[in-house]
Amino acid sequence: MTYTMELEEVTVERRTLFRQLYQQAFPLVAKYVHTMGGSFEEAKDVFQDALVIYYEKLAAGGITLKYSERSYIFGIAKHCWAKKNKGNNRYTSLPDSLQGIAMEESAGSSSAEKLLELLNTSGQKCMELLRAFYYDKLPMQKIASMFGFSGERSATVQKYKCLEKVRDIVKNKSLTYEDFLE
Amino acid sequence: MRTSLNDIQQIDDYLLQYASKTDRALFESRLILQPALQENLLWQQKTYDIIKQHSRRRLKAEIETVHQHLFTEPEHISFRRKILEIFSKK
Repeated sequence: MTYTMELEEVTVERRTLFRQLYQQAFPLVAKYVHTMGGSFEEAKDVFQDALVIYYEKLAAGGITLKYSERSYIFGIAKHCWAKKNKGNNRYTSLPDSLQGIAMEESAGSSSAEKLLELLNTSGQKCMELLRAFYYDKLPMQKIASMFGFSGERSATVQKYKCLEKVRDIVKNKSLTYEDFLE
Repeated sequence: MRTSLNDIQQIDDYLLQYASKTDRALFESRLILQPALQENLLWQQKTYDIIKQHSRRRLKAEIETVHQHLFTEPEHISFRRKILEIFSKK
């Protein structure tokens, strides 16, 4: 498994997408958050959360745009803002079309942190391969060329090997970092 | 592929809903008969959670790079001004 130019290209494409979305939609979100009494940092946080949700939707192929990208992201950002400020009486409910996008917060427990750090160092390449498949949901053929495999078949086998490797690390470390099981 | 990799593949197909109805039923009966397989399934599920958490972090880091770029590079000064102006109003 090697890093190729194609992998770099995918990252650059993603960066371009986010830059465009920032330019199109961030001013709108910033205005909204400011009107609601929020700060620049808060606007940045909800906007970035909205981008993550949008990206996940896009990767899952679950977006049929009835409105522009900009209004779609604005809608998600408003929801993120409302969620953040629940109990402040500033709650707006999410339209039906956006149900199910709420981000479940990661546990953030210290053992999960330790585990993620460990995987970042000892299993980085595997984690990137698994990310491309399970999170970015890229086609296997693309993944094969991104990571320098001869074909889909060998990339698929490597994916399972990586899954096994990471699963073993998760299992072993979870038994050590006991609160991870909670 | 090794047996352990075949098991991983079957769990993968099962959890991600790729398996056909017949394969699902077969796999479910194996789960009842093989507690070790069931345990592996639970760890695999946990592993998907970890992959998701890891991926989100990486994505957020990429987004943050874009943010920093937009808010420091000279070519984006008008964008930056536009945003900062919003927050300078009372």
